[in-house]
Amino acid sequence: MTPTMHSDHSQLRPMPVNIVVAHALEAKALIPMLQLKALQTDSGYSEYANANGLRLIVSDIGKEAVSRAVSSLAHAQSNDAGQISAWLNIGIAGHASAAIGSAWLAHKITDQRSGRSAYPPQLIEGLASCSIITVDEPEQDYALEAVYDMEAAAFYEAASKQATAELVQLFKIVSDNLINPVEEIDLKSVPLWIARQDSQILLLVDKLAELAASYNSRQYVPRVYYDICSLTHLTVNEKLQLRRLCQRYRALGREDELADINLLAKNHTKKLLSILSSAIDQPPALK
Amino acid sequence: MFSAIYIEEEVLESDRAQRLLDRFPHLPHVVCDRYGEVFNRKSQDFRLQKKSPALILAKKYGNKVLPAPDGYGYNESRSYYFSHMLNCVYDCRYCFLQGMYSSANYVLFVNYEDFETALDEKIRLNNGGGVYYSGYDCDSLALEPVSHFCKQFVPLFLKYPDAELEIRTKSTQIRCLLEQEPVSNCVIAMSFTPADIAARLEHKVPSIEKRIEALYKLQQSGWKVAIRFEPLLKSDAGVAAYEELFTQLFSKLDAQKLHSVSSGLFRMPIDFYKRIAKLYPDDELYAQATQIEKGMISLKNDEESSQLAAMERLLFKHISVQQYYRCA
Repeated sequence: MTPTMHSDHSQLRPMPVNIVVAHALEAKALIPMLQLKALQTDSGYSEYANANGLRLIVSDIGKEAVSRAVSSLAHAQSNDAGQISAWLNIGIAGHASAAIGSAWLAHKITDQRSGRSAYPPQLIEGLASCSIITVDEPEQDYALEAVYDMEAAAFYEAASKQATAELVQLFKIVSDNLINPVEEIDLKSVPLWIARQDSQILLLVDKLAELAASYNSRQYVPRVYYDICSLTHLTVNEKLQLRRLCQRYRALGREDELADINLLAKNHTKKLLSILSSAIDQPPALK
Repeated sequence: MFSAIYIEEEVLESDRAQRLLDRFPHLPHVVCDRYGEVFNRKSQDFRLQKKSPALILAKKYGNKVLPAPDGYGYNESRSYYFSHMLNCVYDCRYCFLQGMYSSANYVLFVNYEDFETALDEKIRLNNGGGVYYSGYDCDSLALEPVSHFCKQFVPLFLKYPDAELEIRTKSTQIRCLLEQEPVSNCVIAMSFTPADIAARLEHKVPSIEKRIEALYKLQQSGWKVAIRFEPLLKSDAGVAAYEELFTQLFSKLDAQKLHSVSSGLFRMPIDFYKRIAKLYPDDELYAQATQIEKGMISLKNDEESSQLAAMERLLFKHISVQQYYRCA
């Protein structure tokens, strides 16, 4: 039986991971594997999500297309709470000698046109890794010992603007090589090749979700911060100060002292920050 | 030990790099042009990277032996530091390196011979003298089995009896030192904080007992050892925590033979502090009240002077005043 999110994972554990694929055929195997359902959005993209919050978007082929898709999804997910998602590009690619269906995590991405390279941090163990070269046209010579694709460099650049680099990863499945050239790819096999990498993909999604959750948990701000922001108008700078003060109260184990400041916020907005600021530098009141 | 090894193309064929790559054949070996492509890039997260750091093998260009920051050293001699490595295998919450770099990967500069040449030149410029610190941007001993730093650099100081090498560490990787004859102008300086602070803030660091044992073995073998109480932080138990630590240390070590003992307060450049506070908004250390003086940030503590004096009184029960200095 093919493992799925359902069989291997707690259903409701948040999975802040965005998967970007270039082609609907690449999404086809991921939809049942990750228990995704089609979303109705006005983004113009085919998008899917599961109960854990995992998202998938089909970008279309090429660097510009993938950049636009990342921006679109990031825009839709923008929030005030500093919460971010991990980004994972899954797709087929070529390689001179690697076996058809073999899968690789990217450890270096080079844009063939510009010559620039990027290095996704390697925090996830247990997956074979390789270099990726992103080309503008389908590659037929595979001159270097690397996987050749058409989106990776642009995906990494775009997604790194939305999340810290550790949370941006790329996973490529070999669809063509010198013996099985790119013009002879059997498209019907694409979902099968991807489905066969289910355990690796689930591992990758799981680890990325764990890392993103760990990053997001440190952004936690006590509820009272949002209550105050909804009660009163604060400038961006005041919001930042209030946010940090709330975090400090929490870190010092004094979050309960924030309980009464809602009231204060209503009547003494301007004083709020200075009162909180001077109070936190005093020892906590004895109860 | 590492998640991957990145290698600058320029050092790829060097013996030192090849030995390291051969030692870790199963890790991804990724070739880059310059280590700056991988290390300390924007949009990197120190805290996430610390979960699984990579090793970067690089060549150090430019100045390799730099003037030590004011107040770093223990005497009036001119003092310098050199860093064959950037970043530390330990994870001490108070460490300024978290604010200095956005990357937790370890950079190992493998052109040791260039460092040796630079040290030779600097020592000669100082008429054979000066104090040379290793362990400012890293823990010099912690990665010894991989770096062979001591094996390479300690013997260099045999040529310069008036110069002094201080190796600052929290590591118990002392085999390389025990396997060679003591070098009289080389000091192994071990840092300590009281047990409750160590448990709370010094992650992945060998226990106090193991560090004392390592110092004891070094002292017994004839090596000069020193103790650094840095940073001094307020313990829940007050100065009693320091008293307990001193008892532990001086019941094992020969206090009279200690090269030196120093203390230093928790302080760092404002920018570093802000970056670390962002990384650890949930950490009590970075939620405390602070004060700023001369561009440095420190914890606000109205009783700091009296606590420091009390700590020093306890310390002087074990060592002489002449053995002690305060780091600025």
